[in-house]
Amino acid sequence: MQALAEDPDRWRYGYDLCTQLGLQPGSAYPILIRLADRGLLETSWETNQVPGRPARHLYRLTGTGRAYATSTAGAVTAGAVAATTSTPATATRRSRPRLGSV
Amino acid sequence: MPVVVLLAVLVAAGLLLVRLGDGKGVGDVPARVVTAATHRLPAHRREWGQAMVAELAQIHGRVRRWRFAAGVLHVALFPPPRHPRRVLAVAGIGLLVSAAATVVAGVTVPGLSVFAAVLGLLLGGYATIVASRSQLPRPSMVRVIVAVVALAGLVAAVAIVLRIGAVHPTATVDHTHYVFSILFALILTGYLALALTPPQLGDPTDTGLWWALCAALAAGAVWISVAVTTPVDAEEILPVLAQPVAAAAVLAASIGAAAATRSLPAGVRAGLLTAILAAPIRFAVDLAGMLQLGTYALTDPYDVSAYPHSGYPDVASYLLSDRIGGDIATLVMLPVTMLVLALLGAAAGSGLRRWTARHSPSSTA
Repeated sequence: MQALAEDPDRWRYGYDLCTQLGLQPGSAYPILIRLADRGLLETSWETNQVPGRPARHLYRLTGTGRAYATSTAGAVTAGAVAATTSTPATATRRSRPRLGSV
Repeated sequence: MPVVVLLAVLVAAGLLLVRLGDGKGVGDVPARVVTAATHRLPAHRREWGQAMVAELAQIHGRVRRWRFAAGVLHVALFPPPRHPRRVLAVAGIGLLVSAAATVVAGVTVPGLSVFAAVLGLLLGGYATIVASRSQLPRPSMVRVIVAVVALAGLVAAVAIVLRIGAVHPTATVDHTHYVFSILFALILTGYLALALTPPQLGDPTDTGLWWALCAALAAGAVWISVAVTTPVDAEEILPVLAQPVAAAAVLAASIGAAAATRSLPAGVRAGLLTAILAAPIRFAVDLAGMLQLGTYALTDPYDVSAYPHSGYPDVASYLLSDRIGGDIATLVMLPVTMLVLALLGAAAGSGLRRWTARHSPSSTA
């Protein structure tokens, strides 16, 4: 969600998100689907279609999604600060992309 | 070695079906895989399937395209459930039922407890996958009948093996019974899943299903009538009749479905479905006929020499165990051999349709 929240007004492509986050489509698309099911992600189809190829699906956070991303970012930052002050190993585990980091 | 050959044939058949499923013949293999996989998504996830197909068009490089296709396959096989609690409930019930079945089998037919456990887990897993694909379309009448016949075949096949395990416990226990237990559970679950899977290969109607259902029931009727009318000789006649009757049914269904739908893939699927519906019936009838025999005698020279060293306490257990193993192997190999016949039949049906169209009075006028 943080990746989508970086520029919340911008529509993003699925494969670009996979590449940015280093996720396989088999992991990334189920996350996008769940976010859309929960009303955190809005989807749209490309209108400026290039001839000869199908229109692409676009994604960006809804208002609820942006609010959730902001609150999650706050929680993660607080957790990261707490982890840094305790053990480095705990902080390393948090760097792996999870549902909240898309 | 036979397993490797079987796997190679199955992979080739899968690729062929992927090729047949995409009648337009557009794109490379990853594109075809993605298109075929997204067709398997539940209706309420189809838009996501189109999204992934469109995304693949932007990906270049063979490795990247294959990796993306693999990811799409994963999504198609395990789409995110809309009602996760329902899926968890089904999975929990499946686990409980399989645990109960294993305990009951362990007490009553100990030799089949592994089979009960594996079958319970596989059927529970299948039910969980079905539950995760919520919003299934309302099934038509023929689909319901096909499902009933498939379930009846599975129940009959399991019941006859349980009966043998109860009457002749040593017939279901030897050094290979774990392997055959797992194989039998796998093949029965696979048959059920294939029979209940909605057709995706070019037949939007249920015509192919009707052809398959009628052909399978006709084959089953022949086997049952032989077993009922000639109970003494059925043990000898049924194995001889089994393959020709199955082959005739598969050919009839594939020719009829391909001609009626003007679709080669629909004919192939009808032929395969015929084999899948009929095979458990044949399995149950064959073993029931064998079990009905009051006396068992060794007639084959190989059996006469092998029996004393086999470890079985009686001839009945030796012969029944041998027959169960043979029939399970037939269940494994049948779809492969029948796929060839289904392809031939579907090609003949398509050709027949074209020939009829060319020589009909309206086309010649």
